Amino acid sequence: MTDSLLSRRGLMRYGAYGAGAAAVAGVAAGWDRLIAADIPGRDDGSLVIATLGSAFNLDAQRALRDGFREVHPDIKIRINPVQAYDWSDFFSKILTQIAAGTAPDLVYVATEGVQLFAQRLGVPLDRWAKRDAAELRSYFADVHPSLVESMMYEGSLYQLPVEFNAADMYLNTRVLERAGADLPDNDWTHDDFTTLLRAMKRSNGAGFTPYFWTNRLWGGVVPWLFAGGTNLLAESKAPGGDWLWNSFYPEAQRRGRGGGYRWTTPLADSDRVAEVYDYLASLIQEDLCTRPEGGDGRNLVGVFSTGRVGVTPAGGFWAGGLHEAGMKPTDYDVRYFPRRHTRRHQFGAAGYAMLRTSKMRDEAWEFIKYAARKDVMTQLFAANQTTPARRSMVDAARYRETGPAHWQVFYDTLDKIPSTGPIPAPPQVNEVEQLLIKHTGTALASPGAVRPALRRLQGDLEKAMEREV
Amino acid sequence: MTNTEIRPVRPEPTRPRRARKASEPAATTARTRGTRLLAVLFLAPTVVGIVVFTVVPIVGSVVLSLFQWDVIDDPRWAGAANYREILTDSTVLVSFRNTLVFMVLAVALQLLIALVLAIAVNGRMPKWLRSVFRSAFFFPLVLSAASISVVMKYLFNQDFGPVNWLLGTVGIPSVPWLTSENGAMAAVVLAYVWQQFGFSFLLFVGGLNNIPKEVHEAAALDGASGVRKHLAITLPLLSPTLLVASVVGIINALQVFEQPYVLTAGGPGDSTRTVVMVIYETAFEQLRFGEASAVGVLLFALIMAVTALQFRLSRRYVHYQ
Repeated sequence: MTDSLLSRRGLMRYGAYGAGAAAVAGVAAGWDRLIAADIPGRDDGSLVIATLGSAFNLDAQRALRDGFREVHPDIKIRINPVQAYDWSDFFSKILTQIAAGTAPDLVYVATEGVQLFAQRLGVPLDRWAKRDAAELRSYFADVHPSLVESMMYEGSLYQLPVEFNAADMYLNTRVLERAGADLPDNDWTHDDFTTLLRAMKRSNGAGFTPYFWTNRLWGGVVPWLFAGGTNLLAESKAPGGDWLWNSFYPEAQRRGRGGGYRWTTPLADSDRVAEVYDYLASLIQEDLCTRPEGGDGRNLVGVFSTGRVGVTPAGGFWAGGLHEAGMKPTDYDVRYFPRRHTRRHQFGAAGYAMLRTSKMRDEAWEFIKYAARKDVMTQLFAANQTTPARRSMVDAARYRETGPAHWQVFYDTLDKIPSTGPIPAPPQVNEVEQLLIKHTGTALASPGAVRPALRRLQGDLEKAMEREV
Repeated sequence: MTNTEIRPVRPEPTRPRRARKASEPAATTARTRGTRLLAVLFLAPTVVGIVVFTVVPIVGSVVLSLFQWDVIDDPRWAGAANYREILTDSTVLVSFRNTLVFMVLAVALQLLIALVLAIAVNGRMPKWLRSVFRSAFFFPLVLSAASISVVMKYLFNQDFGPVNWLLGTVGIPSVPWLTSENGAMAAVVLAYVWQQFGFSFLLFVGGLNNIPKEVHEAAALDGASGVRKHLAITLPLLSPTLLVASVVGIINALQVFEQPYVLTAGGPGDSTRTVVMVIYETAFEQLRFGEASAVGVLLFALIMAVTALQFRLSRRYVHYQ
């Protein structure tokens, strides 16, 4: 039987193939190769710090890591820069890491995520702050209490702010010259603002946009709401926090402070909010500004620096960006946001939050203290990509090369306008921001759309705020 | 009883499996067994891959859709609550409507452009030029959808974008591409079609090459015009390819994410929010993985239903040679 013979040969051949494959697999298995465990710092007892990738450049990250190793040679650290489009995207990626069981020990968190992390993931820093009060006194003396209060939640401190940005108004001085206008007074109003935009529009050709803004929580409609004497959500203060205020701030500065902000009832269908939206809608209808969805911060530096935009809201972070884009210190300047019913400004701050999953809490606290040191912050923020939380760092020397001339505005927004506060960012912040963006777009899409859109925003916000995060 | 007695013939019971076995050689050869074993060995990795990376996640999503889960805490049983929640959520319902509108527009445009260009490229032209066109039309498909969308966002910018600048040079007023409901959907569809039509184009080019030239020549001899030839010959003979292109196109279009996410973030309002965007936002931004899974299950059911419908209709409209 030929078939039978062939079959035996075939089987022997397959057997030989199998043995060969097993041998190759065995060799491959024994071969030195790169696996996840080989990533430096992975599972080697390092303190893992997740930062928003774009927040610090590579040199700054190296300085942060190497400097800390010099001070604490016994603590291994690994900086994990997470690339993300915005804070919401960043938090999603951190949560994914937590779900995957590879949670970092510390996370760089901005105002947008302070309460979300505090409520669900964070460790209060109270006991360490009390223990090292003497060491921290100079830090708190240099940092505005509003920034610290924005990092508190229900009476406890969750982060030491290292940077912040208030929404002030940047003006292109070349555009002002073409319009025959002077730099506005710091006490300017919405009417002055509208008049200036009209003058800019008249003196510049097609393809020019007087005011450029983006549709988001920070720097979008919220600063206009603040100036209009209202907010997206009713604002109050949590009790507690006396331990901090009494330890670190004098009487005048701790008056009215509490244990962090509470944002509760939505106010979207109030007359004050509608008034703000009506004003923005009128600017759009008059072609004095971009529609909010049209605004995208990614090309904003380009259009502003080339004179295609006259005015835009931004924080101290823009000084570095405009300098890199080739603008001279005299090519632009900065003013407070124009006032309406109030001069209140909004800000957002950031610092390191400690995660509950961390097994290296004492080491993490050492890093938090280290990152808040003035010499470290000076290295990190050398490029003026943000506003340092320490008042003493916001000085003439810092802005000599980049501008603007009136750099004092950045910290004065906190020091001279005591009501300035953080953007509304409850634990449900992600959904709140999504709803704000969505309904702002609808509200400003067509004449008469403001009130119906705000009513829908109110309904959706109420639903979101009732939801447990 | 004699040998001549006629007995009624009792037919053997029909047992196809036995009958097939009877037609085989007396004993299954070792070679056949070896071939079967080899076939199983070759298929096994793919089957394992499909089970691990497709079947298990699908089953996992169905199970997760019955729980509330926020990544941080343990899942809690929710039963049908997630489905009740999403079926009364206007954003979810609008996203399904948007996705269907997008699918119809995008797939129709994609197939039309791809077919016209495939017929054009298949016409008389130098071989090198044909290669250039084929590469150029296929090229966008290998680019990242997110990168393309970033570029498109710049192109479609109402205030500074080149598209409106170009329209302006011929007297067309500025179009609010990304900031009006219709404009935003149009921009998303155009961005998507520009990237995707290359796939259908390649399929059509292959399909056209399989149509015997003699059929067209015979039609030409009978006096058929160019358009008539394409309507009466090309399209019917290309119908199997059209079926494949439309099935793949519809499945892809129903899962669109990058273009609306980057270009419009779903706006203005909810006008370009798609189902997959809602799944992403609900899961990763609002930490409601159970509800997101429930939306995913509904999308899966929709895709299955649409695909089944297509195959059902194909019996009537698809002609095989």
